[in-house]
Amino acid sequence: MHAVKILGEYYFSQLLGKPIYDAGNCRIGWVKDMAVRWDGVSPVVVGLKYARKLPQLIPVRFIAGCDEKGIRLNITFDAKHTVPLLEKEIYISKWLLDKQIIDLQGSKLVRVNDITLSWISQAGESAMVLVAVDTGIRGLFRRLGLEFLFKRFENKLLGLQYMKPLEKRTSNLQLNRDKQQFEKLHPADIADLIEEIDYRHRADFIDNLDDQQAIDALAEMDLDTQVEIIEQLDTERASDLLEDLPPDEAADILGELSDEKSEELLQAMETDDAEEVRELMQYEEDTAGALMTTEFIGFSSLLTADQAINRLRKLAPAAETIYYLFITDEAEHLQGVLSLRELIVASPEATLGELMNTKVVTVQPDDDHAKVADVFRKYGLLAVPVVDDEQVMQGIITVDDILYILIPERTRSDGYAWFNITQWAGRGH
Amino acid sequence: MHGLTLPSGQDGGTNMNTLNSFWKRFGLFFAVMGPGIVTAFADNDAGGIATYAAAGAKYGYALLFTMFVSTVCLAVAQEISARTGAVTGRGLSDLIREQYGVKWTFFAMIVLLVANLGTTASEFSGIATSFEIFGVSKYISVPLAGLLVWWLVLKASYERTEKIFFVLCLTFFSYVVSGIMVNPPWGEVMKASITPSFSADAEFLMMAIGVIGTTITPWGQFYVQASVVDKGITAKDYIYTRWDVLIGSFFTGLIAFFIIVATAATLYVNDVSIETAKDAAMALAPLAGQYASMLFAFGLLGASMLAAFVLPLSTAYAVCEALGFERGVSKSYEEAPIFYGLYTALIVLGAGLVLWPDLSLYKIMLASQVVNGVLLPPILIFMVLIASNVNIMGKYANSKWYNVVAWIFTVVLIVLTVMLLISTFVPDFMQWLLEFFRVR
Repeated sequence: MHAVKILGEYYFSQLLGKPIYDAGNCRIGWVKDMAVRWDGVSPVVVGLKYARKLPQLIPVRFIAGCDEKGIRLNITFDAKHTVPLLEKEIYISKWLLDKQIIDLQGSKLVRVNDITLSWISQAGESAMVLVAVDTGIRGLFRRLGLEFLFKRFENKLLGLQYMKPLEKRTSNLQLNRDKQQFEKLHPADIADLIEEIDYRHRADFIDNLDDQQAIDALAEMDLDTQVEIIEQLDTERASDLLEDLPPDEAADILGELSDEKSEELLQAMETDDAEEVRELMQYEEDTAGALMTTEFIGFSSLLTADQAINRLRKLAPAAETIYYLFITDEAEHLQGVLSLRELIVASPEATLGELMNTKVVTVQPDDDHAKVADVFRKYGLLAVPVVDDEQVMQGIITVDDILYILIPERTRSDGYAWFNITQWAGRGH
Repeated sequence: MHGLTLPSGQDGGTNMNTLNSFWKRFGLFFAVMGPGIVTAFADNDAGGIATYAAAGAKYGYALLFTMFVSTVCLAVAQEISARTGAVTGRGLSDLIREQYGVKWTFFAMIVLLVANLGTTASEFSGIATSFEIFGVSKYISVPLAGLLVWWLVLKASYERTEKIFFVLCLTFFSYVVSGIMVNPPWGEVMKASITPSFSADAEFLMMAIGVIGTTITPWGQFYVQASVVDKGITAKDYIYTRWDVLIGSFFTGLIAFFIIVATAATLYVNDVSIETAKDAAMALAPLAGQYASMLFAFGLLGASMLAAFVLPLSTAYAVCEALGFERGVSKSYEEAPIFYGLYTALIVLGAGLVLWPDLSLYKIMLASQVVNGVLLPPILIFMVLIASNVNIMGKYANSKWYNVVAWIFTVVLIVLTVMLLISTFVPDFMQWLLEFFRVR
């Protein structure tokens, strides 16, 4: 293993426009741009573009030195030393400089004002790698040649490993790494990012997420954005995501789409999931029926506590809430309710029928939001069952569903939403 | 949720389908409508109303035809920006930064900031003026209006602000009413609006250019594109947004038309000369009645308020977008200090300039017109270049013929703007230009 020697560190803005001299001190051009390739750990500079009209590049290994006056080469320049731009290589200013990128540390969109490069040598081979992007105000003024105004400001450098360009110009290796990096982000942060990215890059971004990440993020968004995103995805991906969303959310989203589009998506969904969603979509807006989800944990009263805990282990990962277990008979009539705490502290042999509370607070599908909220407040519940006139379980409403109604998110991420006068017209009705 | 499907081929089936699809299209249009109409209405701001009123008072119906030209120019400019927004999903300052680099962006943003500060001040002066007509001192009305604008956007609920916007857009129709109230000779008006009239008189030319220049502004271009993006309008909805833009431009022209008619039928006929919108409203009272005058003042208030809402926020937004600062009213102050700082500063300075004792508002308006004039040519060029770039716009890029039209209108607008700029500094320039051509 040879030691890596750092020959110099530069800002891209400092190198851009510098003259290039060859070994004979003859000026052969200026640094117009640099081409990079990113298939290893860091993006590597493959060559310098030295004339505006020529697609040819001067390979980095010919660089003998860089300083204030310009870049010196260690060869007498000849056109045969140059290499053409390959397909997987891209110019920095086309790919990164001035572009928006995702800052994975701060999980927000930032703009690249400048880029730092390291010129290194290892085992006699020299290379230039991209190290970090500068997203700060000092970098901005360095570009304008006014850095001295902001000398007192810190540079805001973001390591290349913590950023993701919106332009999809990276190898598969990078895409895999993206997925791992997204795992570290909270779904709510991913949701915020998706809301901020323009719609054309959004599809790429969501393609990079696996289904679970996409669903978690989608569930964190407000309805307007969910609708916008589902509309923009192709039918196959959209219906896949809708299947795995909680049915109440899927119904809300489909309810906002045009009849044609929502029918198309429902057709593409698995029959069971689609049926559930269709049922939920029949309830009037602003009623308990429209708020509820049909996924809840319902057990027979004959199960013992031990059996119930075992079943719960299997059901828990997919269930919306496990804090209340609802005891129902064959025909889904609600008989009682049991909290998770009561289940855990009970003796293993006791049957649920013995343990359950039979005085259950319920709401009806056509109760309005105010009534549902009142029930939550009065009884301090985490979830409330929805039953019809015959006490048949229809679904449950969880406290977070009602929280969204009571404390709506103030606005979308963009201020301009304030000036759209026609939101009331709704979408596609 | 089973959709009703009509058996095709039966009698009446086709008819019903056409009807259904008409309503569906209408519904779709309703859903995307907004950006074009709001921007176009906001373009008729305090400065615009003053210009139209002065044009009507001084030249009667002669400038109605110019109105027609400026409406077409506005429609083309707004269409380009709206389409770019729908196709790319990004704002104009974002695209300028990515395509033309940091130096152009910085220039554009600094100039935009200065120009919009001046324009914001002129909106607040419009508010001051309209309240003065109703007998309220500007030292009361302007701080209150400034506070209201600042507070509503940052603190009040979205639904409430939305309703205010509706009312503000509706106030513009008071000009239509006052235009009808003055009962102009409609035959003559119609004839004038389709006959190009030209007089080789320096002041007439200046006024004609002013009428066109007040309608097409850099901030209007930034704003329409940003609101299209924000509304989530995409390329496939664009066909409806085009109607939104066209309808908005039509109403802008229509309202300007009625302002000119109202002042032409009264002030021009009676040879009353005016300089400001306040003069116009005051002069209308004895000639067309108290109500016409009050309607005029009311319209001015609505127009100024709408633009005062839109300008500071859209400016702060565009600048932060271009330079990469966090932005948006849903962010907290700690997250987006520059955004909130700019937004607040624009309102405070805009309102403050109006209250400054010895400062001539006329000069501020003139200065912001000049700064806008400096910015308009590069912005128009960037806009057309971006909209015709196939790499950015794909199949929605300007077609060859549309590009020719776009460049012709861009060049015309630039020439007019430069002429206006020069004559601001060299008042005799237009006279000189006319004589120069006469000699040849």
